[in-house]
Amino acid sequence: MAKPQKPIIEGLFTWPSDQPKLIGGKCRKCGVIVFPKTLYCPNPECEKDPNNMEPTLLSNHGRLWSWTITTVPPPPPFRFSEPFKPYAIGIVELPEGVKVVGLLTTTQKLNIGAEVRLKICKLFEDEENEYITWMWDPI
Amino acid sequence: MIGRKYSRDVAIVGVGMIRWGRYPEKTIQELAAEAVLNALRDARLSPREIESAVSGSYHWIRQQAGVTGLLSGNFTLDLLGIDRIPLVNVANACATGHAAFREACLAIASGEVDVSLAFAGDKSALGFFRPQSDDPNDVDYIRFKLGITNPAYWAMMCRRRMHDLGTTEDDLAMVKVITSKAGALNPYARYQKVFSREEVLKSPMVCDPFRLYMICTTSDGAAAVVLAEYQKARKITDKPVLVEGVGLATPSFGEPEVATAKFLSSFSKKGVPPYSQVWNAAGRAYSQAGRRPEDIDAIELSDNSPWQYFAYLEAILNLDYGEAEKLLRRGDTDPINGRIPVGPSGGFGAFGEATAAQGLAQICELTWQLRGQGGGRQVRKELKVALAQTHGYAGNAGVCILSRGW
Repeated sequence: MAKPQKPIIEGLFTWPSDQPKLIGGKCRKCGVIVFPKTLYCPNPECEKDPNNMEPTLLSNHGRLWSWTITTVPPPPPFRFSEPFKPYAIGIVELPEGVKVVGLLTTTQKLNIGAEVRLKICKLFEDEENEYITWMWDPI
Repeated sequence: MIGRKYSRDVAIVGVGMIRWGRYPEKTIQELAAEAVLNALRDARLSPREIESAVSGSYHWIRQQAGVTGLLSGNFTLDLLGIDRIPLVNVANACATGHAAFREACLAIASGEVDVSLAFAGDKSALGFFRPQSDDPNDVDYIRFKLGITNPAYWAMMCRRRMHDLGTTEDDLAMVKVITSKAGALNPYARYQKVFSREEVLKSPMVCDPFRLYMICTTSDGAAAVVLAEYQKARKITDKPVLVEGVGLATPSFGEPEVATAKFLSSFSKKGVPPYSQVWNAAGRAYSQAGRRPEDIDAIELSDNSPWQYFAYLEAILNLDYGEAEKLLRRGDTDPINGRIPVGPSGGFGAFGEATAAQGLAQICELTWQLRGQGGGRQVRKELKVALAQTHGYAGNAGVCILSRGW
């Protein structure tokens, strides 16, 4: 039987979901988008009223703004499936103008400007659970 | 950017540090105390003459030192028998040295005291930095959980720079090659070795496009600076180094760089450059000093990676995106022979970063350079005005402008 899937951090993306999306915040007054959601709008021009910030689901696709491949294992709390394999990280620019980081699903043929789509993938597992996160998947 | 001139002029009368390295047998406070004693010896002052002190706090308290690291200044002053005076422990990440320096300057500028001390010891030597909590609401914890280390952020900025400007791997290697020439001549540097282009380009990849020798290590280190009101400083030393401006700043709203914008996302605003806090800090320091970038004769900057070298150089000298590589290729930034020497100490590549102490180490180096005490690494041109810049995690920046006060 498949193990239960658990987000590595709760509350950052909609799950379980057929079309998972990142959960950010948007200011009703000025349109600023933040991820994760914050209590107040960070715009110095906006009044610090929590009612201005509403949860918003971010686009599940965008363009790769930049990327890197980490070839040595980082320290805890990062956990990975043994043996360690180099992994890619990207900054993705979403259509609404916000840039969001995330792991990439591949280390192959990464190009700035490439279209990517959000995908929920396993980062590691233990005896009880599979631990999942959002990743950006080149189309 | 507004930076007002101090009500009373402040000058450096003594500097001291230890050689950067790894000291498993010593505590942070023992390292800091040694630097303080060196600075006092340089100023020919006794500990009793220090009227106020500021200490850089240690950040990696969960791994080493605990609360004694956070309140490192108290334990160092106890060790030295410096009692009763006001002490503030400050934490501004890797810009902590500049934050401590500014507080120490303000204590004098305000008229509160005539002699003050800024110091810090650090034991950062543990490879990649890591979070100091397991709190799922801590965005720093979240980004480490995703495996995004500091060099990974820098690498992504560098990759974009290469894409936008045609910056080459050779350019990246050249930063290490030229700064290592000065580091090899600095008795305080951890790595006193000249690196060749081939060595840098053949070193293992860590965060593509960065190879091992392109990014700074983490080190143990300690540095201290003794300051005095200017008239008093002239009685203490023949060569007081005048503090013309100290700019500390946070980012502008709309900061595009993701780590600065608190790690997971950024929402850019047109006209806001990446690492806007460095531009903001430089603006304040220039404004306070009444100086312009053309006045700067030598620079110490926080070159954790070649990307930072380029980005900070542009912020400090108010240059267009891509101008830094041109200066490097022309040899203008050669740390000893350049038109604008950058990193006569050897920079972060030769030192490895001891976070809390690094900004103060830069100020030690520029003080020696301005006095003409740079030994084999003394810059060839005549120095009147020098600038030190550090950048710290989470949007902290510090810039100070120093000049010959004699």
